[in-house]
Amino acid sequence: MHEISLVRNIFRTLEEEFPNDMQRVRGIYLKAGLLSNVQPILMQNAFQAVLEDQPKYNKTSLHVEVLSILIQCDLCGQTSEVEQYRFVCSHCGRPSRNVIQGEELLISKVEFE
Amino acid sequence: MQKPKSNQASVGSVQCENTTLNLLKVNDFVAKAIRDRLPNILVINVCSSPGSGKTTLMQETGKRLKGKLNMAVLVGDPETERDAIRMRDVGINALQIVTGGMCHIEAQMIFQALDHIDLTGTDVLFIENVGNLVCPAAFDLGEDYRVTVLACTEGDDKPKKYPRMFLTSELLIVSKSDLLPYVPFSVEAVTKDARDVNPDIEVLSISSLKGDGMAAWCDWLTERVYAKKEKTSEKVM
Repeated sequence: MHEISLVRNIFRTLEEEFPNDMQRVRGIYLKAGLLSNVQPILMQNAFQAVLEDQPKYNKTSLHVEVLSILIQCDLCGQTSEVEQYRFVCSHCGRPSRNVIQGEELLISKVEFE
Repeated sequence: MQKPKSNQASVGSVQCENTTLNLLKVNDFVAKAIRDRLPNILVINVCSSPGSGKTTLMQETGKRLKGKLNMAVLVGDPETERDAIRMRDVGINALQIVTGGMCHIEAQMIFQALDHIDLTGTDVLFIENVGNLVCPAAFDLGEDYRVTVLACTEGDDKPKKYPRMFLTSELLIVSKSDLLPYVPFSVEAVTKDARDVNPDIEVLSISSLKGDGMAAWCDWLTERVYAKKEKTSEKVM
């Protein structure tokens, strides 16, 4: 979708969180749920484009991990993976909207020099 | 926000910090501010592809609600003021949000727009999102309900293709229902697929032009307008 603005958000978020350490950031790890509609390859392209615009960050690399969609059944309490976008508990067959993984878009880890 | 936990464990010369920094946190923060600002107005985020009939639905809804509920519309488009003009033509209080090519509306744009529209006496505020079934799904605009409009001419296979939109909507409107006899679209099939993704989604077939289903839609809205006002007044007391 709008990967450039997401990459800018990454740097904005980190600048806020680590105002004094930005020059030492080397690796940025993202967790992107399948439902966030983020495509890793497009994120990498956008990341490169933003680095060209902001050369001070060009020692930084981006790592995107895509997470599958997990639901937890309200009735039987079991966790199952959603396949083919069928939001149904694979243990008892009941529909569930209780998504416990798959919607996130998080910076999960930052590596510093 | 919770401070991220630091494990300070070095990997070679590299030191790591584990975080849970949400990239959409700014949007979600502003969305909450919008909710706080509009305790008495029902806010509906209307999403769909381009050309599904959102603006026509808004126009016809305005005509039917006249004298019963006061409505206003914030309408987003990449370019032009055309939709806001179409709505003002039928007497609806409308403000255009020109996104400048952007594929979705973000909460900040709504928050700013609220300074430019007079919502005195308004019961229901519609946000007519940019025509797009992908990106708008990720952005909370401070709405109470999300309604997805799908024209029967678009095909009944959309819920599985654009799951997040249907997952995050409370109501699916099948629009242009007067064309159902002429196109290969099954309301039953779309309902089944939409409920695979979101078991709680409601489905209404509507023809804005012929009027079928409009009464049920207006009832759906009216019920929720009063439910919200009641909930807010309970909180105050």
